[in-house]
Amino acid sequence: MRSSPKLKPGIWDALVALIVLVMAVGCACAVWTGDSDGGGELEAVVRMDADGTDTEIRMRLDGLNRVERTVTSNGYTLQIVLTETEAWVEASDCPTQDCVHTGHISRSGQSIVCLPARVIVQLVGGDGGDPGVDAVVG
Amino acid sequence: MKRLIALLTAGVMIALLAGCRKQEASAQIFAMDTVMGVTAYGGSAEKAVKAAEEEILRLEDMLSRTDPKSQVSRLNGSDGAAVAVDEEIVSLIREAGTYSQATGGAFDITIAPVVAAWGFTTDTYQVPEQADVDALLAAVGMEHVTLAESQVTLERGTEIDLGGIAKGYASDKLEAIFEEHQVEHGMVELGGNILLIGSKPDGTAWRLGVQDPAKPNEAAYAAIVQLEDAFAVTSGSYQRYFEQDGKTYHHIIDPATGRPADSGLTSVTVVTDRGSGSGTMCDALSTALFVMGEEQALEFWRGSDYAFELILVTEDGRVVVTKGLEEALMETKESGYTYEIVS
Ligand SMILES: [Zn+2]
Repeated sequence: MRSSPKLKPGIWDALVALIVLVMAVGCACAVWTGDSDGGGELEAVVRMDADGTDTEIRMRLDGLNRVERTVTSNGYTLQIVLTETEAWVEASDCPTQDCVHTGHISRSGQSIVCLPARVIVQLVGGDGGDPGVDAVVG
Repeated sequence: MKRLIALLTAGVMIALLAGCRKQEASAQIFAMDTVMGVTAYGGSAEKAVKAAEEEILRLEDMLSRTDPKSQVSRLNGSDGAAVAVDEEIVSLIREAGTYSQATGGAFDITIAPVVAAWGFTTDTYQVPEQADVDALLAAVGMEHVTLAESQVTLERGTEIDLGGIAKGYASDKLEAIFEEHQVEHGMVELGGNILLIGSKPDGTAWRLGVQDPAKPNEAAYAAIVQLEDAFAVTSGSYQRYFEQDGKTYHHIIDPATGRPADSGLTSVTVVTDRGSGSGTMCDALSTALFVMGEEQALEFWRGSDYAFELILVTEDGRVVVTKGLEEALMETKESGYTYEIVS
């Protein structure tokens, strides 16, 4: 190699240093933030999949007064009620009414699904009742 | 030279970062009358999940019994004529036929018209007259199906429903997609059908809960098994049923009688290692063994060339687990079930 040692840092050195810094910060962040799902607070997650676009609403149930959310997805409208301890579908104009008939859910891991509207109401987090499974077969 | 070393260092950092946080991707898909979940870690996880979504929708278009444009619908409306279809469908029907034969007809894709007579296809439940059921049963059986290379002929009156293996088949296709994209850890949930790739990202086994049939709408489990690299499928009478005049009628129809299988079981879970069995096999066998009942199912397990293990939940409150799952099994306290290991 014919290049003599350069003392002045060039643009490439600066770029490499920047890359290394970004990597280091990224790595540290990845380690520190950890998994956000395993928290102790019970949360309701409402997911909609209307016309290929996914929408997600998350709401912490702790300290929540009765909240009603009207959700329109895939041409159907669901009235979802959330309280401090429970979630349920109060009414829906979907043809099967399975979501309404599922009734109230109150424990982490439970969910209400409306297939025609493509809506899922799920409870996650919390300590109560979750026996710690990764998936359910059945 | 220094620059080279610096670049190398950066390269190492990139590798470290990749190790720190594997690429993770997931999606929920509404298809095949259920909600499906796909999660992948490592490799090209994002591409894998996207390809999985597309594959599920492709299969739904091809296999749906309710979509009038699907190839299966065209077959069912053929009125006895030969119909040209994809070779993929022919080979899937052929595979269904081998499970039918292996299980003495307990699994049968030609039971479709009888299932429809009970209203399970259209959610318009009713108890059909036995005479009507008997008339439909005359056209049930794989002997009424003729297969050619890319052509299928159903005798007049015979119809097929691939719903009993469609999700299992989809899980096999997704397994291939995950492999192709070098996914290291992953989970696919296709409405009662589970595929587990590798271990969990943290290196421990996946904990799979078997739904408690007595509490279908709750996060309650008849058993929990720890698994890696496996397929698992459950057939249960609680999954779909209706009540009429105080009696409950479920959706798993016994092809021998044309009526809901009355076998003393509330659910059958079939588990196999990725290397030795397939999702399609688990899907077909879970239905067949539910129809057979405990005694016959265990006899089939002992004598079969298929490699699989079983978790049977009985009406009288027992969970019967075959020997190969003994170490994976975690009995769930408070479930109220008693546990038996059989060999
Ligand atoms: Zn609904």
